Amino acid sequence: MTYLTPGDPASRLKKVIGIILVLVVVFAIRLVDLQIIQANAINEKSYEKRAVTRVIPALRGQILDANGKVLAKTVFRYDINAAPSKVGPFTKTVKGESVTISVEQVVAELSTILDMSAADVTAKITGTGEYSQIKKRVDAGSYRKIRDMNVPWLYYDPIAERIYPNGAVAGNLLGFITDSGLMEGLEQRYDKCLAGQDGEETYEKGVDGIKIPSSVITTKEAKPGKNIRLTIDADLQYFTQQVLASTVSYLRADWASAVIIETKTGRILTAAEAPSVDPNDPGKLSADDRRARVFQFAFEPGSTLKTITAATVVDTGMGDPYTKAVVPYSWTVPNSDGYKVTDSHFHPTEQLTLTGVLAESSNTGILEIGKSVDYKVRYQYLEKFGLGSKTSIKFPGEGSGQLNALKDWDGVKKYVSMFGQGVSVTPIQSAMMYQTFGNDGVRLDPVLVDGCEENVEDFKIPETRGGVKVISKEANDQVLAMMERVVEAGPIGRYGAVPGYRIGAKTGTAQIRDPNTGKYAGPYAISYFGVAPIEDPQFVVAVTAYKSRTVGSSLGVATPFKRIMQQVLRAYRVPPSTTKTSDLPLEW
Amino acid sequence: MSTIRLTTPRRNLAAARPQLRSVSLAGVRSARPGVALVGILTIGALSIALLNLLLHILTSTAVYELADLQHQKRELTTTTQILAEEVDSLASQQNLSNSAQKLGMIANANPVFLSIADQKVFGKPKAALNTDGRVATNLIPNSVMTQTSTNLATTVASTDTVVVKDVANQKAATGQVISNGGAIPASPTH
Repeated sequence: MTYLTPGDPASRLKKVIGIILVLVVVFAIRLVDLQIIQANAINEKSYEKRAVTRVIPALRGQILDANGKVLAKTVFRYDINAAPSKVGPFTKTVKGESVTISVEQVVAELSTILDMSAADVTAKITGTGEYSQIKKRVDAGSYRKIRDMNVPWLYYDPIAERIYPNGAVAGNLLGFITDSGLMEGLEQRYDKCLAGQDGEETYEKGVDGIKIPSSVITTKEAKPGKNIRLTIDADLQYFTQQVLASTVSYLRADWASAVIIETKTGRILTAAEAPSVDPNDPGKLSADDRRARVFQFAFEPGSTLKTITAATVVDTGMGDPYTKAVVPYSWTVPNSDGYKVTDSHFHPTEQLTLTGVLAESSNTGILEIGKSVDYKVRYQYLEKFGLGSKTSIKFPGEGSGQLNALKDWDGVKKYVSMFGQGVSVTPIQSAMMYQTFGNDGVRLDPVLVDGCEENVEDFKIPETRGGVKVISKEANDQVLAMMERVVEAGPIGRYGAVPGYRIGAKTGTAQIRDPNTGKYAGPYAISYFGVAPIEDPQFVVAVTAYKSRTVGSSLGVATPFKRIMQQVLRAYRVPPSTTKTSDLPLEW
Repeated sequence: MSTIRLTTPRRNLAAARPQLRSVSLAGVRSARPGVALVGILTIGALSIALLNLLLHILTSTAVYELADLQHQKRELTTTTQILAEEVDSLASQQNLSNSAQKLGMIANANPVFLSIADQKVFGKPKAALNTDGRVATNLIPNSVMTQTSTNLATTVASTDTVVVKDVANQKAATGQVISNGGAIPASPTH
């Protein structure tokens, strides 16, 4: 028999402590392994299970008109999707009672809300897959109705979409954004300003999908895009587009454009054209008609350039509104192998003043007087009036027009450029040439955008920039007086007169050069450019119709000019003129 | 029995140290503040843990409230978008133009301006003519114009005759509007 003996407690204690220490060391090693060596890998594994990352979409900035009216903004649309494999009847509580909703009932409601046939909806939700798109980009109202049906096998994707609340009003200027992200017009030009930066949010969620309190949240704030404000007056733009749409229809023209400029600031109030594209649905028009022709399409201006020639003659001191000319029906360009210039209609030799030459829009008359100025000097004036250079707006795809290098001006071009052949201009360049006459002979840079701001309240009208002194104020006053006579006494010019106001203008009926044959022929590009009121010019209105087929002269755009000018004077509260009109003689 | 006792290993009982010894009271007295400290620390730790739990519960509630408010915000944002789109549609030039046309509105091509500063009236007032001022049919497309003004037909029917009367009245009142000698004309309102 053995006896339990107390033994040596001290040595026993040492053994126990030793074992505990060994265990502590083992656990400590394991702890270090888990907490330090494998920590990152374990954390990542665990985080992946709980963490949810979601992109916070940034809204693109707005495009506003001069009065703050929204022309473009971004809204959310919703893709309505189904999981066909899970389609079936379901129960939901209606007024405290459990009701079973059949698939047929859901289909009937969906087809009504989505404006689809029941057969189409059924086809979309039939199958074994997990994903089927029923309809893309549904508006928020319809989405909400569908979501409130609480159908467990329907789910939704929010999509940011650009909309243009006023449709085709300024559509050709605004441009558009395709589904693939391609851009046109101002959307493209100011993309850096308008585009926002998407944010990102990562959080840990519980079983119920709610963020775990005090869980790590990594957030990159979404940065919404800034806004741009245009100088365009949307109401005036709409009115002008209405006039142009009926003009194009009446003239059976390819297209028409109208630009309205504030002469003292260069601000573009309207840059309208017809046909006009609805950026909400750009595919309805051909690629050509979706363009902003006002900035992109250059053509030979014709007789509207005679005003520039007359201004050159007056400013160089080689003539004045009374300068006399003997004006035959036709004139042969010297050393040109018989190149003959004629007037638009036959007439016996006339005795016209420079004013009369403009009023009658005589080609031979302007040649007779204009050739007194050396062609090199005339070339410089054309440059100063802005020909051959893009404007400061830098509109995407903007044209510079054509003003060939001086050395390339052949014997004929030296002469025909006096009445607008052999050179080409865009509608905006044309309008800015006439802005010079409305601003004491100083050509300004056109302004289309007031700036890029985060808050719409921060927009300010930028200060008018210096501009180019093209002709003297004295010469300019004489040019205005001659232009007024075009409206008062010109055979076509008078159709653009606005009762009660002193208007100055010049008509243009330009033959269009066939690029294949090189010959000039109809139908014509017809124009009517004018400033008002003459005693203190405020606005330029420049109207053009390209390839007018029913009216073969600028008469076709005189009435549209009158209606547009009347509207701008009325809308901007310009009081009727109270001073006397010019009485310059047309003949001698 | 005694044999057994004799075979029991002999122990030097006298030399063995006592297994139990008295604890000095002075030592116990000195341990009392330590117990109190442990008690305070335990209570403190428990309080902190309880407070932490409480804060945790409060935070959890706040997070659920936050989630609820964010949901409400999303709903209100959607409502704002829906209403804004309706307003945009109704305020679009296309809808206004169509409405003006339905109402038979005519833009007057002969505006008259009153200059308060100069005390002068500019222009000669004339009745708006149907021939050149009538609002044209809208020709400018707008595919997002989903809402249009309604109930205009009844208004037109009830105001048609009034419009004609107003024009006639304006003609008669023309003389009162034109200012002579720079004086501000009296208001025709009675």
